[in-house]
Amino acid sequence: MSIKFYLPIFLLLLFSSSVSAQNKFTLSGTIRDASSGETLIGATIKISGPANAATLTNNYGYFALTQTEGTYTVTVSYTGFIPVTKSITLNKDTKLNEELKSTNDLAEVTVNANNRKNENVKSAQMGLERIDMKSLNTIPVLLGEKDVLKTIQLLPGVKSGGEGNTGFYVRGGAADQNLIILDEAVVYNSSHLLGFFSTFNADAIKDVSLYKGGMPAQYGGRLSSVLDVKMDDGNNKEFRFQGGIGLIASRLKAEGPIVKDKGSFMVSFRRTYIDLFLRASPDSSINGSTLNFYDINAKANYKINDKNTIYISGYFGKDNIGVKDLFENNWGNVTTTIRLNHIFNDRLFSNTSLIYNNYNYTVRLLNDVTNFKATSLVRDFNFKEDFQYFSNQHTFRFGLNATHHRISPIDITTSSQESQVNPLVQEKRYGLESVVYVSDEWAVNDKLNFLYGVRLAAFSLLGPGNFSQYDKEGNINQTDQVGSGKFYKNYLNLEPRFSMSYLFNERNSVKASYNRNTQNIHILTNATSSSPTDQYVLSSNNIKPEIADQVALGYFKNLDENNYELSGEVYYKWMQNQIDYKNAAQLLANSNVESELLYGTGRAYGLELFFKKKFGKINGWIGYTLSKTERKFAELNNGNYFPARQDRTHDLSVVGIYNMNQRWTFSSSFIYSTGNAVTFPAGKYIVGGQTVYYYTERNAGRMPYNMRLDLSATLEGKRRGRFQSSWNFGVYNALNRKNPYSIEFINDPNEPGKTAAEQTSLFGIIPSVTWNFKF
Amino acid sequence: MTTIGLASCKKIIQIDTNNAAPQLVIEGKISNRLIEQQILISKTVGYDEKGVYPKVSGATVKVSDNNGNTYVFTEKAPGIYVNRMRGVAGITYKMDVTAEGKNYQASSKMPNLVKLDSIGVITNNFFGNERKTAAAFLVDPVNETNFYHFNLYVNGFFSDRIYVNNDRLTNGNNLRIQLFYEANDDDDEGLKSGDNISVEMEGIDANIFNYWYALSEQSGGGPNQGTTPANPTSNISNGALGYFSAHTFQRLSTTVK
Repeated sequence: MSIKFYLPIFLLLLFSSSVSAQNKFTLSGTIRDASSGETLIGATIKISGPANAATLTNNYGYFALTQTEGTYTVTVSYTGFIPVTKSITLNKDTKLNEELKSTNDLAEVTVNANNRKNENVKSAQMGLERIDMKSLNTIPVLLGEKDVLKTIQLLPGVKSGGEGNTGFYVRGGAADQNLIILDEAVVYNSSHLLGFFSTFNADAIKDVSLYKGGMPAQYGGRLSSVLDVKMDDGNNKEFRFQGGIGLIASRLKAEGPIVKDKGSFMVSFRRTYIDLFLRASPDSSINGSTLNFYDINAKANYKINDKNTIYISGYFGKDNIGVKDLFENNWGNVTTTIRLNHIFNDRLFSNTSLIYNNYNYTVRLLNDVTNFKATSLVRDFNFKEDFQYFSNQHTFRFGLNATHHRISPIDITTSSQESQVNPLVQEKRYGLESVVYVSDEWAVNDKLNFLYGVRLAAFSLLGPGNFSQYDKEGNINQTDQVGSGKFYKNYLNLEPRFSMSYLFNERNSVKASYNRNTQNIHILTNATSSSPTDQYVLSSNNIKPEIADQVALGYFKNLDENNYELSGEVYYKWMQNQIDYKNAAQLLANSNVESELLYGTGRAYGLELFFKKKFGKINGWIGYTLSKTERKFAELNNGNYFPARQDRTHDLSVVGIYNMNQRWTFSSSFIYSTGNAVTFPAGKYIVGGQTVYYYTERNAGRMPYNMRLDLSATLEGKRRGRFQSSWNFGVYNALNRKNPYSIEFINDPNEPGKTAAEQTSLFGIIPSVTWNFKF
Repeated sequence: MTTIGLASCKKIIQIDTNNAAPQLVIEGKISNRLIEQQILISKTVGYDEKGVYPKVSGATVKVSDNNGNTYVFTEKAPGIYVNRMRGVAGITYKMDVTAEGKNYQASSKMPNLVKLDSIGVITNNFFGNERKTAAAFLVDPVNETNFYHFNLYVNGFFSDRIYVNNDRLTNGNNLRIQLFYEANDDDDEGLKSGDNISVEMEGIDANIFNYWYALSEQSGGGPNQGTTPANPTSNISNGALGYFSAHTFQRLSTTVK
């Protein structure tokens, strides 16, 4: 199928919908939170009268509905807010800008049944999980640092990167196959402090959506998921402050109007203070050590006029680890996004973005034996133009996107003559990703919805550079010298996307989806957990774009006036051009790193069950995943399929939240998962005077299972004027279970000559306390 | 990270794995010293069996060089095949072993000798703890690619770690290669004053470097955290485990001050 096949269909649809729009008028506007002026994403606008219809606000709180002339009852609703009902006579294109008032916390848990939505049943979108930022605050986490990435790991189909780790795997994909975007900018390394904390400071986050499948056409570039994180816009009515003091870090956020009701800003800062304790040590070599991270989120927006709003947002984060006179390691992401929302007319909404982001790290060894500094950088410039066209039963979305990548794999400089390491500048790599996409969300009738589209993704590896071909042994066959700006290697991929829902009634539906995703930037690492020094490579003459095709089928059911949500999804995913490594591969500071790679295929399939109680004093969810994910490489495991390391057959999460009264909220989460698939020795022998293990099947063994119960309690303080505070008490791993982190093989201390497996666990039971405030 | 350090703990667990059928293991070394060069032939045992490795007797073992010399190795003790000879730098040696009806071949080129100038002790400071580490001092030749493998003995005991280096990032420099050591006792202080250390340096070829490097990559972190373990690529044909290495050899000893 080619672009030639698709384009006429879309043009036809666009054309036909505008022809049929006679005697119809458009109701459009922006829905906001009355207290802060924040736009509300996904608020429902329902109209009834001569015709019945409903729509949701987009990422900027904007909506548009087109209907035949007449008088309608319009209801605007959003969870946690008091719905507004109005009578509107639609005899011309009409604006409806509405501000909803927040219900108080207790009223929120007993939401009026009429105000409960069945969006999960109705929408054609599947594989989508949205994180409720309010429940995020109560879910227990390690050391009390509430964390978006740890919370999504409690959802079916999402597996944790490891104990206390923010890395995650979605539906059998690898950790580098998640597209993580913050206000549209790619965040390459989403972890702080070796993965124990994520780069996302929950205070500054407005909305988090995770697509596990059925990705709409505007998203692409990674195989397995999209995590779309949006920052708070800031309060445009009054100045507000909030913050918290925890065991690990403290946070402070300020927001307020730039010009009342016209523009606002938000700044949020977070910093750890473990090293302040280190600094207090009398020992000079300890108090000179560093171990910290900090991050800043900042955003401002200004409504120039009714048609134009400009947004500027940025993220800056840094981790520092160092031992005095020995080494220093720091790493961090920078993102900057400038966006212009423009409303061409009531139906055509556009968003133009200029995005800059980078990820960089520095390693310095300072001892006199090995004295050098190594730096690495991944830098993107990105231009995005996205249009939404709201037609009668259609919402079209189309746009283009161009990203220029620059990767500096490693620059090594030495400061002293005696250093035994030589200076090295590994050649930079340049790439250009150019994308056009178009999609249509089509409500055919009350029962049938489609969301379908196509994404055409071109990737070019650009000069300057020397690009080598390798033989099987990894020797250079041929090297091409390519000049600056020359296109050396091009790949073109067409990515069809299709989802549909069929409603049996308002409470029951089936959904199906198919999507193809491709990926042109890859992490090279042969360890489990992500490391700050993970290396990024672009698709090249050797590395082909990774491709994944996923089909999914689901059944969705809501019970008790949408109080309970029940869903079951099955998926199957095929992956091509997956990457693994040769024996003894040297991935760092290696100009010929591409000679160390192996290419193969993968497959993943599974069943995800989800049961959620959304409202009431007791709410929460149960998620269960039964899955398998395998890889196949000609050079590994005799060319047979073997389980990927993160292949965990069973994965169960239970989250319970109990709102006892206005002051106390208790919550708990329980997880159980099968252990990772790992390679255990099948025999042993002696070479070089030491015991060496003999391996047969790859990843045929299993780590012990993981099980953990976390608890937390939140106590809301009494309100004093504007000032409000709360205490959060947490217990991580309340059962004090020794979950497996790693296994090493040692001489059996009880039976000399025999081998024993020694398991290391990271965390026992860990209590935490955090104090939060706002005014 | 202090919290993490305090909380981490270790315990012995049972794992579920199959015992593999015995595999042939050949470890052949030709060095530049005039000694009884040894080629050892043995077999693997299953994972949960005792570490008593069956010797393979009655094999035919020959080594030839690219000057047309052939050295026939004789079985001195079960599984230990010897020939008194001296290997020469720059010469490629071919090993030919027939054991239990199967033939195994390998070749290795002895690199030029790089002099081990001296050994010593480097003191590092880790969070206020001084730690003494053995080090090998040598000058890496600038005009060739070099690979080194070290053995460390402390008070006569072999250090159970793999020390392997190449000059990919350090070509042509004065090298001070640290050989980190963990004493087999609880206080884990590393080297102590008065310890006697011996360092053996082998100048090895690229295949043997890859062999040791693969093993060393697997030793850290275990199967869940580090590189997925696999059998290191052997330079011996026909599926034998082990390696055949022609290398230069030097040994120096000293006492820790």
